Amino acid sequence: MDNKKKNIQMCQGRLPAMAPLANPYVPFQLEDPPKYEGRKALIRGTLFPGLDLPFMGMVNQKEKPITPKTELQVMAFALQELALYLDTHPDDKEALELYRTYQRMLYKGKMEYSEKCGPLTHIIPVDDKTYTWLDDPWPWEYCANKEG
Amino acid sequence: MFDYSKKLQYPVKIDKPNPRLAAIIISQYGGPDGELAASLRYLSQRFSMPFDDQKGLLTDIGVEELNHLEMVGAIVHQLTRKLTDKQIEDSAFAPYFVDHGAGVYPVAAAGNPFTAAYIGVKGDPIADLTEDLAAEQKARVTYDNILRLSDDPDVNDVIKFLRQREIVHFQRFGESIQQLREKLNQKNVYYMNPAIDM
Repeated sequence: MDNKKKNIQMCQGRLPAMAPLANPYVPFQLEDPPKYEGRKALIRGTLFPGLDLPFMGMVNQKEKPITPKTELQVMAFALQELALYLDTHPDDKEALELYRTYQRMLYKGKMEYSEKCGPLTHIIPVDDKTYTWLDDPWPWEYCANKEG
Repeated sequence: MFDYSKKLQYPVKIDKPNPRLAAIIISQYGGPDGELAASLRYLSQRFSMPFDDQKGLLTDIGVEELNHLEMVGAIVHQLTRKLTDKQIEDSAFAPYFVDHGAGVYPVAAAGNPFTAAYIGVKGDPIADLTEDLAAEQKARVTYDNILRLSDDPDVNDVIKFLRQREIVHFQRFGESIQQLREKLNQKNVYYMNPAIDM
């Protein structure tokens, strides 16, 4: 299949041939849809190129710099997208497999992050001598989002 | 229950304070189609859903909206860092500032405080999910409008992300209505209220 045809197809979904009147319909996204790689998914705001519908061609092009935090954000975002997809497509085996892969990666990533950069949650144990949960910066602060 | 993670869903790093933009973007914190309304709407609607598909989806999207609420709060906070009196005086932020300073308060851009009247919980799954379709569209348009009014690349980077999430959520709610419909009487899905009668 040529690329143009593929691109059109990925933006289209399935509707029932006949359907009850007076009902709202959104086409169902087809199973095993094309997916962006994790880092691209985060900056585009979706894992699925077929759902990537920007306003007036305004698209985030530049990937986020690789920091321990953005790596977590990439994994957590892909997982979130797959979770919402699976909520309505529970039988998609490929998506379920990818979901499990991201779960394992994120679980491991969170442990490593907490050890290296300080507590992420109250739940993950960190080998600190003192109580470091309160330490600045908090997520909404500028310096918590600085690169590097 | 909710567990807090000490990170944002998507990085918010606004280099240049801009009170004029803060006065607009606050609408997605506490305005009619904002993230507070979205999270409350979905997390409240889920209690009367009769089937697991909708309970799960409303929970998952409702929690994501809380992440977005935090991100919009972070944008407003960073846009109003270290403002001078002159910057405030000269901007549309002054009427907000007089009541809230540089605090983040749930209010619409036009000044109306947040109200539960912004959300609907009808206790009927089709009615509630149809409201959610409309809500996602209205939030998407609000982000479109913010993109029209803002030329700050750091702000727009985050706004584009949030806007795209509305489109994905719309898609999932639409699919969820179809899943729900398949469990109802195909001849008449309005025969009864499945939240009460099933």
